[in-house]
Amino acid sequence: MLRSKRRAEHSTLSFKLWDFTGTALLNLFMFLFVLVYLSPLPFMVIASLTPSNQFLDANAPILPSERVKFNYEGKDLIVYKVPFEDGERNLALYKPSRQSSEFIDPEHPEAGTITWQGSWRALKAVYHLKPTLDNFKEFFAASKVTLYFKNTIIIAIISEIGVLLSSIAVAYGFSRFRIPGIRYIFFLLIATIMIPSNITLVPTYYLFSGHMLDWIGTWLPLIIPHFFGSAILIFLLRQNFKSIPRDLDEAAMLDGAGPLRILVSVILPQSIPVVTTVALLHFFYIWNETRMASLYLGISPNLQTISFGIQRTQSFFFTPEALMVGALVVMAIPVVILFISRRFFMQDMIVTQIEK
Amino acid sequence: MVMEKQVGTVLEQKNVKSKRYRQEAQIGLLFLAPWLIGFILLKALPILAALVFSLTDFHMLTPEATQFVGLKNYIRFFSDSEAGANLFGSLEYFLLTVPLEMAVALALAAIFTSERLRGKGILQTLLFMTSIIPSTSIFFIFLGSLQYAERLIFTPMNLPPIQGFGLLLPFIALWSIGPGFLIIYSAMESVPNEIYEAARVDGAGPFARFIYITLPMISPAIFFTLVVNLTGAFGGALLLDRGYILSFSLSPMEGYINDMMFTQADLGYASALAWVTFAVMMSITIYLFRSSRRWVYFPEDDENVEI
Repeated sequence: MLRSKRRAEHSTLSFKLWDFTGTALLNLFMFLFVLVYLSPLPFMVIASLTPSNQFLDANAPILPSERVKFNYEGKDLIVYKVPFEDGERNLALYKPSRQSSEFIDPEHPEAGTITWQGSWRALKAVYHLKPTLDNFKEFFAASKVTLYFKNTIIIAIISEIGVLLSSIAVAYGFSRFRIPGIRYIFFLLIATIMIPSNITLVPTYYLFSGHMLDWIGTWLPLIIPHFFGSAILIFLLRQNFKSIPRDLDEAAMLDGAGPLRILVSVILPQSIPVVTTVALLHFFYIWNETRMASLYLGISPNLQTISFGIQRTQSFFFTPEALMVGALVVMAIPVVILFISRRFFMQDMIVTQIEK
Repeated sequence: MVMEKQVGTVLEQKNVKSKRYRQEAQIGLLFLAPWLIGFILLKALPILAALVFSLTDFHMLTPEATQFVGLKNYIRFFSDSEAGANLFGSLEYFLLTVPLEMAVALALAAIFTSERLRGKGILQTLLFMTSIIPSTSIFFIFLGSLQYAERLIFTPMNLPPIQGFGLLLPFIALWSIGPGFLIIYSAMESVPNEIYEAARVDGAGPFARFIYITLPMISPAIFFTLVVNLTGAFGGALLLDRGYILSFSLSPMEGYINDMMFTQADLGYASALAWVTFAVMMSITIYLFRSSRRWVYFPEDDENVEI
């Protein structure tokens, strides 16, 4: 009864107006926030489409452009803005010289050369808008991007399966079972997160090297450790599992469900958003990871992953446009995956198999 | 006679109960097994080795001349003012970036749970996207954008030029918001709708619902983000990594340890520094875990929350 009364209230005109304004304001706010938040990003796109010599000219325009050239007697002449007493004229530099130079007017080439007093080096070149894909072409030519993509996707998928299976199981163990001394085991888990990672680098390298496991130059050091679960992701999952009330577990237990069955059909269906988050975080971790890749795959370039491979190519060019191209290439697939993952966060996805 | 029987049943019950406990513990351990085995096989030895290194003068260029030096490396830390400064630098970095990051992540996640927001898929992608920009490019993006800003806004309006990198750290911190946002948002999405419905029927407004339902229900996720950001600030494991090269880190203390390790090749002292950092981090974390009993909500709180 109360509910129907409320609904009637909701349908009044003033409420609708209020509702509409609220929605509009909220969306406007988010739009403005994202606009400011992403304001440095246009540079990335613009720089990647910019011809390489444009960054060398401080007077060049911001958008990707090319110097205007004028073909005269079979030679490409660069057009400059030349100041005269009666205003600026765009002229093509014909004979450069220190004190005075000769120019051609591109609009009236038949009129012959125009002499201008002054140093031509102080003149500003004329540009016209011309985005180019040359940076991408050069980058792809210098780097085995497709191979790196393939390698990283294989590594990411295999380790993703491992990390999800084991982390979910371990987090379930930490959140639902009374085990003597479990708090000390959990303490150990947290401690492994906190140890500065580089400090175990040398002994870990030794462990994976020819002295012990002989995994250097293979994908194994990048894949196998994830099959034992990732401490940080276990911690995240455990936080979520523990916040799920136990009454459903107990109901399922009375129905004769075993621990594994409870995990699969009670806990997991209520944890789809967090499991998706874990899956995404791990995927991006593998995708962006360069330290392990540089250590263990440094000697086998054909097994290299995308982030480290791109980093190498970038350091080879080391120009702003190559850096931006590299970043865009690395980010392409994660962005698509992020967009697809959206549906796993929606609440109607979350179905519990047992009626509440 | 009757009493004997009673004692017998109590004992029997106790037996049944302890048997059930034992069984539960065994099944639990089975679930923990993957991590425990991984820890013993892949983690324990390197960690022990790092502990041993910290007691030696292990130098990576002259490993054969290594000698046991006892606590000398730790004593050296106390006379190394630069190490202390970097340790405080890490704490400062944590205090400067993490509250900002978490507040923004929380606000964004709250907005995202609103049904009125349109285009969530694109917005979520755009907000997360900045967290995966590779480290090699991020500085150039900022430098280039600052130049654009100068040319388009500051110079025409006769404003003073922007001074260097002061803005960079908070901005990079905000640009790393993706994981924190996703974690808090997914926790919010996991809160059962019925609780909100019940509160709405009781007349709770959106603000009250946020304070009394959302915040307590997502407190485990907030706690997680806090602990993980803390470890990140001191150089522990990261949720997401922009692919920094080996010797680079945003955390001052980790940067200093890396410098000792890769530039000076002084692994003994670097290990000792790492263990000191670890001790500081662990004390803060234990304090956080202790305090979490007061502000982190779990539906059936039992004894295994605390450390």
